Formats: sequence, structure tokens, C-alpha cells
Amino acid sequence: MSDLLGFVLSGLVSGALYALLASGLVLSYSASGLFNFAHGATAYLCALTFYELHSGFGWPAVPTALLLVCVVAPGLGWCLDRLMFRKLARVGETAQIVATIGLLVALPALGLWTVELLEDAGAPVTPAENQFGLPGVGPSPAASWHLTDGVGIDSDQLITWVVTAVVAVGLWVLMRHTPLGLRLRAAVDNRSLVELRGMSADRLSSVAWMVSSGLAGLAGVLATPLLGLSAHDFTLFLFVSATAAVLGRFASVPLAFAGGLGLGVLQNLVAGYASFAERITGFRTAVPFLILFAGLLVLTRRQRTAGTATADAPPVDHLAGRSWARRWGPWTVAAVLLAVALYTVTTPFWSGIIAQGLAISLVFVSFTVVTGLGAMVSLAQATFVTAAALVAGLLMSHGWPFAAAAAVGTCAAAVLGALVALPALRLGGRSLALATLALAFLADQVLFQMGWLRNGDTGWAIPRPVLGPLDLSDDRAMGLAMIVLVAVAVASLSALRDSPSGRAMLAVRSAPAAAMASGVSVVRTKLTLFTLSAGLAGFGGVMYASYSTRITATDFTAMTGLVWLAVVVAAGVRRPQYAVVAGLVFAVMPHVMADYVTESAHLPVILFGLAGLALGHDPDGYCAALPTRLHRRRTAAEPHGTAPEPPVPRQAPSEDAALQLRGVRAGYDGAPVLHGVDLAVRPGEILALLGPNGAGKSTLCRVAAGLLPPLSGQVYAAGRDLTRERAVGRARAGVLLAPEGRGIFPALTIEENLALHLRARGDRDAVYDRFAALAARRGVAAGSLSGGEQQLLALAPLLQRPPAVLIADEPSLGLAPRVVDEVFHLLVELRSAGTALLLVEEKAAEVLEVADTVAYLSQGRVTWCGPRAEVEADRLTEAYLGIGASGAGRHDDAPGDPGGRPQEVRRP
Amino acid sequence: MSRSIRAITAVVAGLLLVTSCNSAANSGSSGKAGSGAVRGVTDDSVRVGGIVSMTTSTGYSKKDTDLGAKARFNRANAEGGVGGRTIDYLGAEDDGQDPAKNLAAARKLVQQDEVFAIAPMSSTTFSGADFLQQQKVPTFGWGTLPSFCGPSYIYGFGGCMVPTPGGTISQTWPEGLKKVMGGSDGKSVAILANDSDAGTFAIRTYKQSFLSAGYEVTYAKAAVPAGSVPSDWSAYTKEILRSDGGKAPDAVVSVMQTPYNIGLFTAVKRTGYRGVLSDPTDYDPALLAKDATAQALDGVHVLTQFQPFEQDSADMRRFRADIRKAAGKDVQLNMHMMTGYMSADLFLAIARKAGRNLTAGSFQKAAKGFSDTGTLVGDRAEPKGQKESFGCGALVQLKDGTYVVSAPFTCYSPIPFT
Repeated sequence: MSDLLGFVLSGLVSGALYALLASGLVLSYSASGLFNFAHGATAYLCALTFYELHSGFGWPAVPTALLLVCVVAPGLGWCLDRLMFRKLARVGETAQIVATIGLLVALPALGLWTVELLEDAGAPVTPAENQFGLPGVGPSPAASWHLTDGVGIDSDQLITWVVTAVVAVGLWVLMRHTPLGLRLRAAVDNRSLVELRGMSADRLSSVAWMVSSGLAGLAGVLATPLLGLSAHDFTLFLFVSATAAVLGRFASVPLAFAGGLGLGVLQNLVAGYASFAERITGFRTAVPFLILFAGLLVLTRRQRTAGTATADAPPVDHLAGRSWARRWGPWTVAAVLLAVALYTVTTPFWSGIIAQGLAISLVFVSFTVVTGLGAMVSLAQATFVTAAALVAGLLMSHGWPFAAAAAVGTCAAAVLGALVALPALRLGGRSLALATLALAFLADQVLFQMGWLRNGDTGWAIPRPVLGPLDLSDDRAMGLAMIVLVAVAVASLSALRDSPSGRAMLAVRSAPAAAMASGVSVVRTKLTLFTLSAGLAGFGGVMYASYSTRITATDFTAMTGLVWLAVVVAAGVRRPQYAVVAGLVFAVMPHVMADYVTESAHLPVILFGLAGLALGHDPDGYCAALPTRLHRRRTAAEPHGTAPEPPVPRQAPSEDAALQLRGVRAGYDGAPVLHGVDLAVRPGEILALLGPNGAGKSTLCRVAAGLLPPLSGQVYAAGRDLTRERAVGRARAGVLLAPEGRGIFPALTIEENLALHLRARGDRDAVYDRFAALAARRGVAAGSLSGGEQQLLALAPLLQRPPAVLIADEPSLGLAPRVVDEVFHLLVELRSAGTALLLVEEKAAEVLEVADTVAYLSQGRVTWCGPRAEVEADRLTEAYLGIGASGAGRHDDAPGDPGGRPQEVRRP
Repeated sequence: MSRSIRAITAVVAGLLLVTSCNSAANSGSSGKAGSGAVRGVTDDSVRVGGIVSMTTSTGYSKKDTDLGAKARFNRANAEGGVGGRTIDYLGAEDDGQDPAKNLAAARKLVQQDEVFAIAPMSSTTFSGADFLQQQKVPTFGWGTLPSFCGPSYIYGFGGCMVPTPGGTISQTWPEGLKKVMGGSDGKSVAILANDSDAGTFAIRTYKQSFLSAGYEVTYAKAAVPAGSVPSDWSAYTKEILRSDGGKAPDAVVSVMQTPYNIGLFTAVKRTGYRGVLSDPTDYDPALLAKDATAQALDGVHVLTQFQPFEQDSADMRRFRADIRKAAGKDVQLNMHMMTGYMSADLFLAIARKAGRNLTAGSFQKAAKGFSDTGTLVGDRAEPKGQKESFGCGALVQLKDGTYVVSAPFTCYSPIPFT
């Protein structure tokens, strides 16, 4: 019994650290939607700073710790948010994952480099290497107390518990009982709606990142005595604490906090009672990752179909339809030149480096299959590489020929890939990434610890093959062979991409549900992708091992896989040829840097990590960015095919309009939707905007509310030019958008939803007086209300404090007729309060009853606008059928609607 | 300008860059001009490079190895060099514990810098070994990796320290502990290692080693998670301290790294354990600087495979003086300096035997049948050292903030490893 108590008590120490890290993860995830792989690196950086300031500069421990946790770490979080995370929040999940992986290696290097520079400058820093038994904030060595037989605690543990408890209470108060906390939770719930309500989501994101970094800093300072100054250990610690974040479903700080504590205890109990697994080498080491993997499988809610990141919109392929020579000519020339160079100009050293770069390219190309084609982030590629090479080496040691051994190794990797894919397939995005990472660690710690497979630290020799007259032990011949192999791989993958199965894969990537409806098996497609990718990685691994002529089980670890992914995505993961560029850069760059730029090993790592900054701008990598940018500049320079639309002369806005749009043109990345819209709504007027699907109604709402910046034209409110203001500024200027769907925060209670708009208690009470249904359930989560009640909840606070302008995008969508009447009644009431309403509605009959003015929108233009009395039935029909504008059919307006809807708005 | 032309221009520019790298590399190299020339050897100098892991993500660095080698080569040059040639030591490449970088560093040193030999090579990985063997580059380093056991061009400064089944196991540790504990009769030992293949292997070797020295081994498990240091050791201490029929064993022996040892020994001591504690890694005077480590390791007997710095001898005094001179100031000695110093020393000793006509062939010939005695690592002999360790060692005990020699540096005969 005392054993158990001891395990639980001391498990709570690592549990407390997990809890701190996991809470930070959840906060930053909810603030900007990205899983921060660099969270542990932030903790490490704070531990390092604490150590240098305390032990090097001799600053007192507690004030230094407070300075770090309250000022330095939040400052770091703020900087990173401003520089990176804010931009990353708008790009695809792969780029997000990779950018923070870059930071994961860059931040520690930055810290160590700073220490190096300070040391050169003569500052009293102490070296950061080989430091053990570091002092924390408490006494060093730690004082210890004996509680009962075998159960003792020491001062470091006690400090960790107390501080964590204080932080837990503080976080709870902050999140539950302050206006800031309420807004943070609202931003977690529905980021774009927060902006539409006039709260700056960016500023909230900064706050969340500051708190998150502060928590990481705290964990770092507290963990210093335990983990020392090993960036590697801090990162491992973070991965384990990700389990707790998963437990909190990346949304609930209290759950994540409790999860962290429980995780520490569970881990300790398993370690204490795992004698059943004594015969499995590595089992105890792997316990945290077993828990992570199991946690992901059990706890991840199935949100999207099987592991697809739908936010990744593919870039425009401007070479589509061009000739083969145009598409592939430059690449072919480059390959031939490289081959010639190997035999003419390059020295043996550089020939070797190029051969190495090409060998790793083959591995990198495998990322373009699973991540590029499949949009699944696999962090287990290094596992497939090691597995294939070990199997091939094992067979060659038994006298197998190279080709046969390589083939079997490749198959082994493919089988492993399928095994990894099977359980992971039901996960998506970051959960899939974490699950593959957990499996990669499991393979490192259990599978590759098997003596018969790894052959100790000796590993297996994989001599280079001899192909007829071609002896690959010559680096040039190896390079040439690799060029051929890489060319074959790139060509077949490109052919696959253009084949029916390739199209099926792309279909699964972009719309799994639709693909399923078209008879494409999503599971089989994903399984194929994973298997293919693992096989390719395995084959590349065998070739790479034969370049090194040996494979040992520790050559490619799970962490190597992380770095590889970052290198490939930085170059571009959508085309196999970009991966080849990545491989060559990966091999050549460090040596060029060392020869010409700096001897310091830290600077290249820092630069590499900062590639994440570039991903914020060009999420598709630098290889894709260059031609795309050139192409964009060229098309921007060329005049449009049709005559340019005449610029609308800038006149003074009309004085009496509450909201006025003038000459507004807008669209989505090359697909114009609005072609010069003029509209004005006066106070106390309802303007109904009618038009067929795809006419651009929602786009117009988004432009008016500031969610989409117009390409040209102006937006005025009460005579003030608001064109440059984004949603927050517009909302503060009194222009509110009630978005399509329901404009509420489903995870907040009714009371909290109201409090966001109505600070004063009296105002809220007035709402409850009027809407008894809301009053009775004020503590209930808004998401559990019926659709009609939700719409009422969205509109009720507006009645209490009417805005100057309300833009309502289909407020009656999906509501029962009786509720629709009530909603329209509220809108009319708002009009009497002086609000100008721009109402987009499909229910024409109902809307005509309340509208003062009616405008028809067709193909991005207002074709008619006038008082309701002048509306004629046939014009209405034309407006709905979209045949009124001109003789032209609908051709270029279709992209407006699907892309135009605010995706962030949740539908009930 | 069309896109393809632009792409071709870019490729040509890239190739030019590579070519310029080549010319830079070519201009930097010399000595391979004549047909009979030996790589890295001129009339008056021998070029030597090193590979050391300095920057790492784990916070473990061996960078002082470079200083040790520099100190030894400086003295050699001050004494007139070897065979009429001075040593042109290029310094050590940093491999960052990365296998890919280790191989690249070996290739760079051989193909670009054109060194005759590599001393020291000290890292946790040695993927450059096959390449160096194939290129006939004599390489000297810390023989804790299997590549130091077998390949003819690769030498461990203390011999090969990885026992292979069919080979031998060094008995320095159990024999040294006998001196501390007054013999092995009726004495029980518990051995603890990390839960990994390496840990399992360590348990296997040391179990046999201690058993054959006459100890009773009551506990030998590779049980401690290898990923990161446990925050709680009670699960392990309880089992260990009840292993000798419910009593604590006479000695607890750890074959783990420093952070683990700190945790384990602290936990064991808190239970009131009074027996002998020992490990093979914590001989680092820098550990004394911190109260926490000094307290955690107080009383622990640490195995060293070279003469302890505390043992007063002419060689040790000279080592101290050389290091001080190379560093330009008083620095704390550590085992990495010794690694670099003795790697360089073994290279110099064999090169001296090879004499004026220095080629890879003559060097290897000199190495065959090379032997000397009484060095800082004991009695050296090649090619015996490519199969087993030189078998010498000492134990030092950390007592009240200083290390004292608890079992003086001695060479023991090894036992067959089954």
C-alpha cells in the first residue's frame, strides 16, 4: 500500500509538469489552431536562461524565475505570435506542423548560440554542456523528508506541487471569472465570430500565446533539476504531455490539466508494476508513447473523414496543360547536367555529397506520396527507412544478393507502413501526426531494440551493389545510379498522380465524403498511399544505407523523421521533384555554409528553423513559391483578356447612408465574384438582397463585414471610409454581420454568450425578461439549444443595444416557419430602433413583406435596385433563376459560393 | 525569357557554384601531386584531423577531446615531431552525434583536407568507420563503439571496449571493487541498466564479469526507461534493496549515464542504504562544482579506464602541464581531455615506430606487434587492442567534495566472454 502511495505521490511530480505543458499546448492550440511542437523547446530555452542567469550571472533564484515566467517567456510567445503563428493560423495544417518543428530545433540552437556569443564577449556564462544536478528555485541539493516507510518527498517536488496548484487555481480564475478569459474561450470556440463581434482575435491570440509560453517557461524552470539542460529530453517530455492535451481534446484546459496529473501517476504505476513485460526490451522506456498512442486512438473524436486536412487548398498549377517539354524540360536538363558534372567537374568529396543527397531524396520523395498526395502528416518515415535497411542488411549478412535483399526490405517497410496506417487511419491532422510520431518512438524503443534485428551497435554491413559493369562503390557511379532511380521514382509518381487512381487519391484528399459518394474507397486509398510511401521510404533507406555501407538501429531516429519532414515541406511537398531539390539542399547546404559562412554549428540550424517563417507566406514551400510568384507577377503585369473595368471615380459618400458599398470588386485568388457593386442602406431601412445561388450574395456580406478585402471600391459606414478596416474595426464602427448559420458560441453558456455583447448585468436581465426560454436555461451551453433558440440568442443582445448596421446572411436558414416569423419580427423591431439592415434571404416571399428596398444581385452585379413596391413578379423569377442580367450563361461565378462561405462558422 | 531558359540558367549557376566549391577544395589541398605521394604526408609534416561530437541536443558534449589532442600534438611538435615531421593537427570536426554528419566529417577530412590519420574520433556514433577503413586511414579514438573492434585501421586508445561473445571481458571493475570491499567472498551485488538493447547487453557482460570474480549477483536488470530520466526511483530502489533475500545487497552497481546515476544514488541513499555504490561514468571533476551532484555522488566509487588525475606520476604531471599550456589557462581536467590526449599519444607512438618512411602500409606494419607499458592507460599492445581492452583501470571515490583513489590503477587479465 505504501508502494502505491509512493508511486502516486512522485508520479504527481512529472504529472504536474505534464499538466503545465499540456495546458499551454491547449491554450496556444485554441488561440491559433496549431499544435506547437516547439512548446518543449520554449521550456528548454527558459531552463537554459534560468541556469545561465542563476548559476552564471549569480542572480537570485526566485526573482530570476519570476522574471522569466512573467516577462521573458510571455515576451517570447508574443514575438513568435506576431512573427509566425498569426500568419500560420491561416495556412494548411502541414505547414503549421512543420513550422513549429523548425522552431523545435531552432530555439535551443538560438539559446546555445547566444551563450556561445556571450562567452566570447566575456560575459560570466557557464557552458551549457555536461551539466547535471542543476539547482532549481529551491535549495540545492534538495532537502528531503521522510513521510512513511519508503515514501519521501523533497523540496523540489514540493515546490513543483505547490506552484502547479497555484497556477491551476490562477488559470481557472482567469478563464472562468474574467472578461479576458471569457473572450479567450469565445475565440477558442469560434474565432471568426469573435472578430465579427468587434473583438480582435489577433490580440486574443497574442494573449493566449503569452500565457502559453509563460506556462512553458514555468515548466522549464521547475523541470531544470529533473531534466537538466537536454533539449532532447524537454521535447520528449512535451510529446508525452501531448497525451494530456489530447485528453482535453485540445480545447479544455481543466481536462488537459487533470489529464497531465493522471498521466504522470499512470506512467509511474506502469513503470512500478510492469514486471510482466521484463522480457520485452524497451517496454518500460516505451510506456509514455504507448499511453500517447492509446490515448489518441481512444480519445480523438472523429471529426473529419479519415485523416485529411481539408484546409490545404492546392495552389494554382499555372503549368497545367502546357507541353511536356515545358513542364519537364528544365528538370531533365538539370538531371543530365548533374550526371555530367559528376564525371567532369566535381571532386570526390562533392560527388559523395551529391550521391548522398540523391539517396536521401528518394526517402524525401516518399513524403510527397503520403503528405503531398494524401495530405496526411506521417512522422514515422524514419522508422520505415530503418526497418527496410535493417531487414536488407540482415538478409545480406546471410548471403542474399543486394537486389533481393533490397526488395524484401522494401516490402517489410511497406508492410510496416500498412500496419502503422491501419490504426492511424481514423485520426486526422495533428492527431495522425502525433500517432505516427508515437509509433515511431515505439519502433525505436521496442522493435529496433530486438537483438536479432539490430545486431547490437554494430548493425549490418550493406555493401554497395555491383550492377554488371557498373560498380557502385565508386561515388560517381553511385550518384549516376541514384539520378536514374530518382528520375524513375519522380516519373512514376507523376504518372500515378495523373492516372485514374491518382485522381481518386486527390479526390480523397480534397473531399473524402464526395469521393466516397463517387465510389472511391477512402480507407483503401489511404492505406495504399501509406503503404506506397512506406515502401518508397524503405527502398530509399536501403539505398542510403548502401551509400554509408552500413545500417545501425540508431542511424535514423524518430526525431530524424521530424527534421526530414520539415526539410521537405520547406521545399514543397506537393511534387516529387521538389523533394529531390530538398534532398540535395539538405546534403549540400551545411557544407557550403561551413565553408563560406560560419563554422558555428548553431547558425545553420537556426536558419533552417526560421524557414518556418517563410511557410507563413508561402505554405507550399520555396520550390513552388518561386515560379508561382513569377507567374503571378507576370499575369498581374499583363492586361486582362477583356477590357479593364473602368475605375469608379472616387466621390464623397452619401451622407444619409448607414452602410454604402461603392464599385466593390472582390473575389477569391483569381476567381472574381463581384464586378463593381453599388449599394446603400439607410438607418431604419431593410434592404433585401436577392439573387440566385452563386450570384455573390455571401461574398458581398463578407466584403461588407470586412472578412474579405475588396480588390477595388470602397465601403463606407455613416460617411466614414471603412474599406481598410478588417472585421474587428467594422464591428467597432457599428457594422455587424450575423453570419450564415448561427452566430453564437456553442461551447459557452447562454449567460456567457450574452455577456460578450452586454457587459452590464441590467442589459442581460432585460433580455431574460423578454425571452423567458433563455432565462430558464442561462447556465446551459448554447450549442445544446434548438436552431431557432440559437438564432434568437444571436439576435437578442442586438435588440438590447442596437447596432448601426446589421448584415444578416440568411437568418432563417433551416428554421421552422413559426420561428422564421419570430426572427423577422425581431429584424423589424431592430429597424424601428434605427438599425440599417442588409438582409440576404432565400425566402423571397417572407422577406418582401418586411423589406423597404430590394436589390437583385446577378453574376456579381446589382441588376436592379428599387423600392419594394416596384418589385414585379417576373423580375423576381428572373432574379432567382439567374437569367435576368444578360444573355451570358453562368460561367465564371460558380467558384464564388463554395469558397465564399465562411468555413469557420460551425453549423449545428 | 521563357521559364525553361531561366531554369537552365539557374541550374548552370548552381553547377558553377558546385564547381567553385570544387576549385576551392582543390586549391586547399596539396601533397597529392606526385604519383608516389602519401595522402597528408609531406617531407616535413603529417596532417591529422579529428571528429568529436561537440554540439548535441542532449546537452552531452565531448568537445574537450579536441583540447586533449591538441595538447599532446603540441608537445610532440615541441619535441621535434615524429620521424622528422611535425604534426599538422587541423582540429576536430563537430559531428553533433549525428550519423550522417559523422560520415560526412570523415569524408571531408579524407577527401577534402586529405589527412593521413584521424585522431581523435570520439562520438556516440561512428558511421564513418567503414569509409575510413576502406580509404586506409589510421583512426584513433575512444573504443566504446563496435567499430573499434576488428577493422584493421581503427584503434581504441584503451583498446576495444565492447566485448564480443567469443572474445574477452575486462575484469577491472569487479577486481577494483574487491579492493574496496575486501574481497568478493559472500558479497552480493545488484546491477542496474537502462531498458534498451545496449542496457541488456551491459547486464549480460557485467553479470558474467562479477559472477566470475566471485560475487553473488542478486539483481541484474535492464529496467530503467532509457528515454528520459525517471522522476521517481522508488520502483527500482525497492526491488534492488530487497533483492538479497529481503536484505539490501552489499553493492549497487549502475551502468547508466550521469543523470540517471544522480537520481538512483540519491534515492538509494535516502532509504538509508550504507553499502557500496559504483558506476563507470561519473569521473568528472566538474561534477564536484555543484552541491547537488557532489552530494548525490558522495561516497560513490567510479571506475576509470585510465590513470586517475589524483594519482601522482610523471606522466600525469606532464599531462596536466600539457593541457594547461594548450588551454592557455588552468582548466578542470576531464576524461574527454584524456581521450583526446591518449588517442593522439597512441598515434604518435605507432608513427614513431614506423619511422621516416611513413605510409599507410608502413604504419600498419609498425602497428602489428606494437607494444609499450606503463602509460596513462596501462600496457598497450596491438593488434590485441583491436580485439579487447587493455584491461587496466582504477576506482576513485568521491569523498567530501574531492575524488580520492580507492583502488589504484592496475591492469588485470580478462576472462573469456561466453
